[in-house]
Amino acid sequence: MSEWITLTVNGVRRTVPCTAKESLIEILRDELDLTGTKEGCGYGACGSCTVVVNGEAVKACTVRGKEKLDGIEVLTVEGLADPEGNLHPIQQAFLRAGAVQCGFCTPGFIMRLYALLKNKPEATEEEIKEALSENLCRCTGYEAIWEAALLARELLKATRVT
Amino acid sequence: MEFRYIGKTFERTDGYAKVTGAAQYVADLKLPRMLHARILRPEFAHARIQSIDTSEAEKSEGVVKIVTGKNYPILFAAAGFYDQSPLAVDKVRHGGEPVAAVIADTVEHANKALPKIKVMYEPLPILLNPVEAARNKEVLIHERLGEYRHLSSYFPEPGTNIFHHYRLRKGDIDAGFKEAEVFVEGEFEFSLSAHSAMEPHGAICRWEGKDRVEIWASTQAPFAVQQTVADMFGLPHAHVRVHVLYLGGGFGGKSDVTIEPMVACVARTVPGYAVRYICSRKEVMTSTVLGRGMKARARLGARKDGTFTAFQADLYFSDGAYGDAAANIVTVAGHNCVGPYAVEHCHVDSYGVYTNTPPVGAYRGYGHPEGCFISERLVDMMARKLSLSPLDLRRKNFLSEGRRNSLGETIRDHNGDLFKCLQNVEKELFTHPKPTEDERFLYGRGVASMMKSPKGAPNASSCCQIKFCSDGSVHVNLGGIEMGQGAQQAMRQIAAEALRLPPDRVSVFREVDTQHSPWEWQTVASMFTYRGGNAVLKTAEKAIQVLKENAARVLRVKADDLDYDGENVFLNTDPDRKVAVKELARGYMYENGLTVGEVAEATAGDRIPGYVEPDPKFGMGTAGGTWTFGCQGCELRVDKKNGEVIIDQFISSFDVGRVISPQMIRGQIVGGVVMGIGQTLKEKIEFSEQGKIINATWVRYKMPRIHDIPKKQAVIFVETPEKRGPFGARCVAEHPMVAVAPTILNALYDATGHDFFCLPVLPKDILEALQ
Repeated sequence: MSEWITLTVNGVRRTVPCTAKESLIEILRDELDLTGTKEGCGYGACGSCTVVVNGEAVKACTVRGKEKLDGIEVLTVEGLADPEGNLHPIQQAFLRAGAVQCGFCTPGFIMRLYALLKNKPEATEEEIKEALSENLCRCTGYEAIWEAALLARELLKATRVT
Repeated sequence: MEFRYIGKTFERTDGYAKVTGAAQYVADLKLPRMLHARILRPEFAHARIQSIDTSEAEKSEGVVKIVTGKNYPILFAAAGFYDQSPLAVDKVRHGGEPVAAVIADTVEHANKALPKIKVMYEPLPILLNPVEAARNKEVLIHERLGEYRHLSSYFPEPGTNIFHHYRLRKGDIDAGFKEAEVFVEGEFEFSLSAHSAMEPHGAICRWEGKDRVEIWASTQAPFAVQQTVADMFGLPHAHVRVHVLYLGGGFGGKSDVTIEPMVACVARTVPGYAVRYICSRKEVMTSTVLGRGMKARARLGARKDGTFTAFQADLYFSDGAYGDAAANIVTVAGHNCVGPYAVEHCHVDSYGVYTNTPPVGAYRGYGHPEGCFISERLVDMMARKLSLSPLDLRRKNFLSEGRRNSLGETIRDHNGDLFKCLQNVEKELFTHPKPTEDERFLYGRGVASMMKSPKGAPNASSCCQIKFCSDGSVHVNLGGIEMGQGAQQAMRQIAAEALRLPPDRVSVFREVDTQHSPWEWQTVASMFTYRGGNAVLKTAEKAIQVLKENAARVLRVKADDLDYDGENVFLNTDPDRKVAVKELARGYMYENGLTVGEVAEATAGDRIPGYVEPDPKFGMGTAGGTWTFGCQGCELRVDKKNGEVIIDQFISSFDVGRVISPQMIRGQIVGGVVMGIGQTLKEKIEFSEQGKIINATWVRYKMPRIHDIPKKQAVIFVETPEKRGPFGARCVAEHPMVAVAPTILNALYDATGHDFFCLPVLPKDILEALQ
């Protein structure tokens, strides 16, 4: 009774089984082995499973079923660095600012920021804070993540200029 | 001393893997022939199990096996008190206990079978308040307390719910209070809270027959899991192999042995298969361990000049259904609630009490936040009563060179400098006048001081192995767990410094595995940089000695006359006479293949010397061993309309001996402060009268988010080198959380004129106080 859906993940079209119930995080982790997307709570409170769906940040544990998943375009943390493994400016900013400790919330924060800065390169501090308040981190006290976000905005600005 | 790599910030060893999603955690692992376990939890928090009928569930789709505690009437302990079974046997003692496990081909099938297990219970009365539970001799959570095997450092009181009673008797308390002219006292309450590391606990277990087992677990203590599981089944310890990948946060919540014994029992019924169990978020909160949970009464006496003469306290810990993980916290809180002060006469009774909640375990600070909360509130109250500055009163009584702490240990200058820490906080906090009350806000400032010593097994050690490669680069292996704190990176920098090699020539361990990693007691107590760092230094010295012995044979000189600079071993009087390290790494091979000397590999370990359990009668002795002192301060505002607290500035100053990595150490402090703010102003596990946790979700259990953090955090380090720390470094990791609560509560008094004694302080409590 299994049905199939097709979705584009990190630029590659994938066809996977999906009945009514599977969530996007299950498809990413269990079907596609993209375990960079993390599950902290399973009900959208922590944001660890944030990925980019059709250009918007989405908590992958909250999106379920064929209707919502068929045909979508997904970007996960595995798709952010270039094919040679060179890091995206947001990833670089996280390392430089010391925003990574245990690393479990890191992919979610990075994808949250990616969606924000892609859509709003000039996002204000208020808008950045608002976006980051969707995600929980238990290690850093947010200071370094905040600095990484501001640095990422600068680095991205520099890439656009050059 | 000029350092090349110590005191500088480098990109973390685990950074690239963590920003690209490549870093592996236990839930990311897939093994061949992997089955999935889900666990049935009880309907009652305290009940006798009359019967369990698994027949319907066994027929459910995809089910391979149902396992109950009847199969395993085992008592296990990781710390030294054998009071817990892997699955409930004839009784459940808290609402999150495992009653039965379903093994199935998928998680979904396992979940579907759970409600088909029929359990009959005989409900028993529920005990939640530790003071009442300590007095109640009618309702016993463990009827056979007197029969439990335990280490001699545990003092249970059979026939009661008290599983551990620590007594501190220093000096003569009556004389101390007689000498006192001024007294303050208070009743304190510290709620239960949840560590809430982002990664849920998980374990995968696979048996090879009945005599050998492999476990992949999210644990800070793989060697403790190894020993515990081996002892459960009477196996040689060496036949239990525990692997640890990256940990998504620990904070102590993954240092106690929790789910692993259960998963080992469950997997034993299906040898050859890997059985995977990952906790749901709810199960992390209901079925692993919680933190804190204290009710206390304490009294401090001082002379009019401010000299503390006597400290007396009774502490009751609500430690939940099992005491193994909590007993040492009870002890530590007992001798630390005196604070970082020299008090001649101390009398403390600290009780670990069984209640019908999940068991309490290690939580960042391990008894110190509980103790510090008491001492630092009392000291501020005393300062008011004596009309002295709370800072000066602290200075008058601070532990310093030649003074003795509550355990009777003499503090030396190299143990750290509280005065400098307080001075740093004072300078930063009083740079501008305090804002005066306005229409919307009340403003307040507060400070608190702290100390923390480790508490571990007296033989707790860190060990290191160094192997030179044939190009002169090195492997550095230890058994410390990377859970975010930067364990690997700290070891890389220390090894690079000791071996005089650039950090990119030093490959430190990633995974830990009891088969291949050197022994590490547990990655707890903020000890790894200190103890692991010392192990690296000792090992590096040995490995370099092998290189020198090899070179001595080649150069036909004495090894003592040789020097080493990372690239070469050379004659110290004639540096041109040298042999490259890469020529010496596997012994020295002449052109014809003849090889002489030894392979350049070495191991060594470190422990705190002379460390003992407290004396059974007086509770004193060398049970601190090493200390880190610090002070914190804050400026806050209270919104008169809604009782919300906004922290404008939070200042921390610790005497850390030596900063290894400025970025990582700041990350520890800033993160710990925010965790402390959560504990002080937000976080509380709430129970129904039936003992059910009513907020076991991250929707209802509120933790700090980005808008809750202080507007500014100042972090200032004092660096008084510790005599035997690596490059003088001291322990720091839990410390920033220890004094946050009293710092904020002292500031809240300054703002509102109200003394709070109950944590957390919620907006409704503040509004109530303001009315």
